Amino acid sequence: MIPRRFTALALAAAGSAFLATAIGYAAPQPERGLGMPRDVSVEGHRIDWLIKVTMGFVIVMFVIMCIWIVWACVKHDTKHKAEYDHGSSVSQVRFAAALSALIFFVVDGNLWVNSTYDVNYAFWNFAEAEAKPNAVRIEVNAHQWAWDARYAGPDGKFNTKDDIVTLNDIKIPVNTPILIQLSGADVIHSFYLPNFRIKQDAMPGMINRMWFTAKDVGEFDIACAQHCGTNHYKMKGMLTVLPEGEYAKWAAEASKHGERGFDANDKDAHWGWDWRVN
Amino acid sequence: MDIQPIHPEPTSFIRKYVFSTDHKVIAKQFTWAGLLFLLFGGMLAMAIRWQWAYPYEAIPLVGKAVLPRSAGVITPASYQSIFTMHGLIMIFFAITPLMIGAFGNFCIPLMIGARDMAFPFLNMLSFWTFLTSQMMILASFFVQLGTAAAGWTTYAPLSTNVGTPGWGQTLVVMAIFVTGMATIMGSVNYVTTVIRLRAPGMTYMRMPLTVWGLWLTAILNVLFVPVLGSAALLLTLDRVFHTQFFIAGAAGGKGDPILFQHLFWIFGHPEVYILILPAWGFVSDLVSFFARKPAYWYKGSVLAMTAVTVLSAVVYGHHMFVTGMNPLLGQGFMLLTLIISVPAEVLFLNWLHTIWKGSIRLTSPMLFALGTVFVFGLGGLTGIFLGTISTDLYLHDTMFVVGHFHFTMAAAAFLGSFGALYFWFPKMFGRQMNETLAKVHFWPTVIGITLVFGGQLVAGYAGHQRRLFDPYQYTFLQHLHPLNKFTSLSAFGLGLAQLVFIYNFFQSVFAGKKAEINPWGIGTLEWEIPSPPPHHNYDVIPTVVRGPHEFAHPEARKLLGRDYLTQTEELPEAGAVLKGDAGKAAAGA
Repeated sequence: MIPRRFTALALAAAGSAFLATAIGYAAPQPERGLGMPRDVSVEGHRIDWLIKVTMGFVIVMFVIMCIWIVWACVKHDTKHKAEYDHGSSVSQVRFAAALSALIFFVVDGNLWVNSTYDVNYAFWNFAEAEAKPNAVRIEVNAHQWAWDARYAGPDGKFNTKDDIVTLNDIKIPVNTPILIQLSGADVIHSFYLPNFRIKQDAMPGMINRMWFTAKDVGEFDIACAQHCGTNHYKMKGMLTVLPEGEYAKWAAEASKHGERGFDANDKDAHWGWDWRVN
Repeated sequence: MDIQPIHPEPTSFIRKYVFSTDHKVIAKQFTWAGLLFLLFGGMLAMAIRWQWAYPYEAIPLVGKAVLPRSAGVITPASYQSIFTMHGLIMIFFAITPLMIGAFGNFCIPLMIGARDMAFPFLNMLSFWTFLTSQMMILASFFVQLGTAAAGWTTYAPLSTNVGTPGWGQTLVVMAIFVTGMATIMGSVNYVTTVIRLRAPGMTYMRMPLTVWGLWLTAILNVLFVPVLGSAALLLTLDRVFHTQFFIAGAAGGKGDPILFQHLFWIFGHPEVYILILPAWGFVSDLVSFFARKPAYWYKGSVLAMTAVTVLSAVVYGHHMFVTGMNPLLGQGFMLLTLIISVPAEVLFLNWLHTIWKGSIRLTSPMLFALGTVFVFGLGGLTGIFLGTISTDLYLHDTMFVVGHFHFTMAAAAFLGSFGALYFWFPKMFGRQMNETLAKVHFWPTVIGITLVFGGQLVAGYAGHQRRLFDPYQYTFLQHLHPLNKFTSLSAFGLGLAQLVFIYNFFQSVFAGKKAEINPWGIGTLEWEIPSPPPHHNYDVIPTVVRGPHEFAHPEARKLLGRDYLTQTEELPEAGAVLKGDAGKAAAGA
C-alpha cells in the first residue's frame, strides 16, 4: 500500500501544475491612456455612460462660466460705466430661479433617474442575482492585509469540509452572476474591482453584499479602497475570469484539495458563515 | 443703551498682545497660528507628492533631518502619518483658524458696527484653547510610535488600539476634542454678536454677505461640532479605557464601527460647508466691491446660503453609500444631495450677473475672488458624480474624491482667504500689501492649484485609490506614474509660489506703505474708521441707513462725485450738507 502522504504529495504536485497553468491564463494587462480601465462587467457600461454624459453637461457649463468671466473682465473693465442694478426685479428673480431649476432638472434629474434605475435593477438587485440558478457564491473575509475567499464546494454549504479556501486569489466563471458576501476581521477594508466599476466596504461585525457578472476572461486586480493601516497599498488580490468549463474543472479539483487539508480542530480556519439571504 | 461701554485700552504688553480680549488682536493671533500651520500642512503635502513622483527615493534637502531612521526615504508607516496629519492640520488647524478664527473675529464686529464681540473674555479663551490643541498636535509627533495614522477621517476600528496603538493617535484625537471646544466658544460668540450687537439700522438684510457667510458658519459650528466632540470622546474612551463603542470583529468587541462614521459625517458634511460658507461670503462681497456694482439679487444669495446651511445637515449619508447602507436610505441621501446644487447654482448666477456690466477693477482681492469662483466651479461640478450612488460605486475612495474636495475645501477656501487677506490687510495691520507681488502670487497659485487638483481628478477617473504608499503595485495604475509625476511637479511649483506671499506678508506687516482709511473705496462700516481701528472700534456707534453694496449709485455720482455710498451717509437733498463721519472724512480729504 502506498503511504497516504505520498498520494497527497503527488496530488498536490499535480494540483499545483494545474493551478500554475490556470494562473498563466492571461496576465493582467496594464492600462493605457487616461480614461477608465477596461470594463469587463456586464453592467459597468451603465456607470460609464452616466459619468460620460454628466461630464459632457459639466464641461459645457464650466466653459460657459469661464467665457462669461473673461468676457466680463475684458468688456466691462474700468472704462465701462457700471450699471446701477440690484438684480431683484421680479423678472430677474424669475429668470435666475428658472435657469437654476432647468439645470437641476436636466443634469441632476438625469443623474437621479438613471442612478436609481441602475441601483435597483442592477447593482443592488440581489434578489434577482440570488434567483439565478447558475450563480456562484463566494464569501470574502478581509483582514490586514489580505483577502480570504471561501467557496461552498459541491455541498453548497459554507464552513464545511469541501469548502474551497483561497488567499488573494479569486477565480470565477465568465458570463455567470457572482455573488459576494463580505466581512472584515480587524479594521474596515473596501473590496474594489476597478474593471467591474464596483466596490463595497468590508466591515468588522457586519456582512455586506455585492454582485457582478464578468463578460470577458482574463486576470484583473482586486484592490483595497479603504485605508486599512501601514500596508494598505499591498492589499492586492487577483481576480481570474475563466471560461465556464475550465472554472468547473478548477472548482472540483480545488474542493478535493480543501477536503484533504481540512482540520476540524482549527477553529480559526473556519471563519465562514451561513449564506445570508436578505 | 450702554450695552457696549468704551473700555480703556490696556497698556501692558501682556494684556495688549498676549492675553488680549480685543477681537482685532485675537484675529491677528489666529492669523499667525493658522498661517504657520498652513505652512506645516503644505510641507506634508509636498512629502505626499514626493512619494508619488519618486517612490523609495530620499526626500532632497530636508529628508535626512526629518526621517533620520530611514535616511530620508518615506516608509509606509511614515507615509500614513504624513497624509493623516496633512488632512487634519489643514482642516482643523489651518483653514478653520484662518477663515473663522481670523476673519470671523476681525470682520463680524467691525462690519456690523460693534465695539467688540459679545463675550470678549470667552473670545480670548477660545484662542488659547485652540493654541493648546495645536501644541497637542505638535507633541504627537514626538511620542513613541509617532503621530496619528488612521487618516483624517479617523475611522474606527483603525483609529482604536486595534489599528493604531500608541499615544500619538490618542493625543491627536484629544486635540480634535480640544479644538472643538475652542470652535464652540468662538461660534457661540459670533452667533450672539450678530444677533445682539448690530448697530442701529443694521438689519439682517443690510448685513454684508461676508457677515452672513460667517454667521451661518458659526450656527453650523454650534450645532455640529459637539457631535464631533462626542465621537472624539467615545474614541478616546475606546483607546484609553478599553471600552468597545466602535470595536467589532475578531478583536472581540460588540461595538459598531459604522456608528463612528455616522457621528463623524453628521459633523463632517456640515464641516465642508463650514469651510466654504465664509469664502462664499467673501466672494459675494468682493465681486460686487470690485465690479463697482450692487450685488446681484442680494436676497437670493442670502436665501441660497441659508438653504445650503439647512440642507448640509441632511445629506451626510453620501459619504457612506458603500458601507452597506440601506438602498432606500441611500436614495434619499442622493436626492437631498443633488438638491444642494440648486442654491449653489443661484449663487453662481448671482456672482456672474454681478460682474456683468460692471466696471471691473482687477485688484488682487478681485483676482482671488474670481479665482475662487473658477476653482469652486470645478469643485462643485465634480461633486455631483459623488453624490450619485451608481457613479460613486466606481469613484468612491478614489483620487477623484480627493481632487473634488481639494477644489472646494482647499482651493476655494484658500483662494477666498487670500482674497480676504489682501482685502482687509490694510484695515488689520494699518499697512498696504504690495499689489504687484500680490498679482505675481495669484497667477502661479491659481494655475498650480488647477493642475494639482485637476491631476488628482484625472487619476481618480482612471480608478486610482486614495492613500496608497505605492500605487504602482497595482497593474491598472502603473501607467499613471507619469501623470502623478506631472501633478507632483505642479504641486512643487505651487508650493514655491507661496514664497512670494510669505515675503510680501512679512515685508508689508513691518514695512508696508501706511494705509489710508478707505483705500479701496468701499461703503461698509469698517472703511469709515482709521486703519487700524482704535481699541474700541467706533467712537460713536454708527447708524446704518442702507445695504453694503451701493455702487454706481446715480445720486452719489451727481452729489459726491464718487460711485458709491457708505452704509451710514444719509442721501442729502440736492445741495444739502452730508452728515456723519463720512461727510467729515469727505470734507477733510
